[in-house]
Amino acid sequence: MVHAHTASVAETRELAAVVAGLVAPGDVVVLAGELGAGKTAFAQGFGAALGITEPIVSPTFTIARQYAGRLALHHLDVYRLEHLNEALDLGLAEVLDEGAVALIEWGDVIVPVLGADYLEVRIEYGDADDDRRFAFAPQGPAWAARKRALGEALAPWDAAGPDVPSGGATTC
Amino acid sequence: MLILGIESATMQAGCALIDHEGVLASVHVARGRRHAELLAPAISFACDQAGVSLTDVCAVAVDVGPGLFTGLRVGIATGKAIAAALRVPMIGISSLDLLAFPARFSGRRIAAVIDARRGELFYAFYRHVPGGVQRLGDPVVGSPEELQSEILATPEEQLLVGDGAARYAHLFADLANVELADQGLEHPSAVSLVQLAHAQALREEWQQPWEVAPLYLRAPDAEINWSVRNEVGR
Repeated sequence: MVHAHTASVAETRELAAVVAGLVAPGDVVVLAGELGAGKTAFAQGFGAALGITEPIVSPTFTIARQYAGRLALHHLDVYRLEHLNEALDLGLAEVLDEGAVALIEWGDVIVPVLGADYLEVRIEYGDADDDRRFAFAPQGPAWAARKRALGEALAPWDAAGPDVPSGGATTC
Repeated sequence: MLILGIESATMQAGCALIDHEGVLASVHVARGRRHAELLAPAISFACDQAGVSLTDVCAVAVDVGPGLFTGLRVGIATGKAIAAALRVPMIGISSLDLLAFPARFSGRRIAAVIDARRGELFYAFYRHVPGGVQRLGDPVVGSPEELQSEILATPEEQLLVGDGAARYAHLFADLANVELADQGLEHPSAVSLVQLAHAQALREEWQQPWEVAPLYLRAPDAEINWSVRNEVGR
């Protein structure tokens, strides 16, 4: 588990850009956290760092949006799904196999259909209004190999201290 | 009895028409993933060239997978829409059955293998029976190495068909008792679909449009645990 802390929406976007620098074709990044935690802000910073110039908006009502950048980005929001089969209907395996990156808001609830490799990013509210705490849980061999690089890249944002959230993430 | 078949389980999508005289027309396109743009014009073209009207169709057959979900969704939705509009029944057939069927003249055991992407395969085994093939067990999803192990564990001569076998050909090509089919048997065909559907139609094995659903194989269809979402609304 790698931890980070931001104090503004702008910082959240910067943090996301650093994470985007570590992704490879076929990667899955899962965003977990309450409404308003900053999942879409994270997606915006993440997408901009992949060279996407068009505005990234929440896909809650369209479920999936596609963007072309240095890597193709599939920005998904599974908040409106009720069954795991609907998550399969998104055809994630196909787009990932073709070299896209998937960023999935609320993706922690569809983990059974995600496959072994994904990076879980859990966002929680901090003390001040705009404070956010991040817990990064790399899952599977593909992300285990980048755990150290992730830790080093996020060191400037590390919120080391007793108040670091454990989050709901599982082992890493 | 005119039957329209719609097949879209892999990179290839297509349609075919059959009546009591045999297959009247078929259209297949294997370039790209533009199934949604392709299918309706392809059906229209097939009907025009075969000299039949879409309103003469008595049943709509669809490939229900397993396969690529984006393609299956388009094909099944198109089939359901036509069947509902014409008020005719449907016939759903598995993509793996369609892959194995054209290999029915081989005496070998047949492995029909579809690329499920991200290092997984959908596959099932078949054996030759008079007039067709018979599936041996349920279709499964597994890794290429799992399929290789299953093949190694069987001493019989085997024929591998499908895009999954082609993609991982390096794992199977050197096995002593295995032959890989060529490109002609790489994708399920709408021709096989209407041939198998015609036989089912003669036995009056129908499904209603609302009963036709894709085969997922990957995970049991569980409801998503939305305790998180419920907490938000509390």
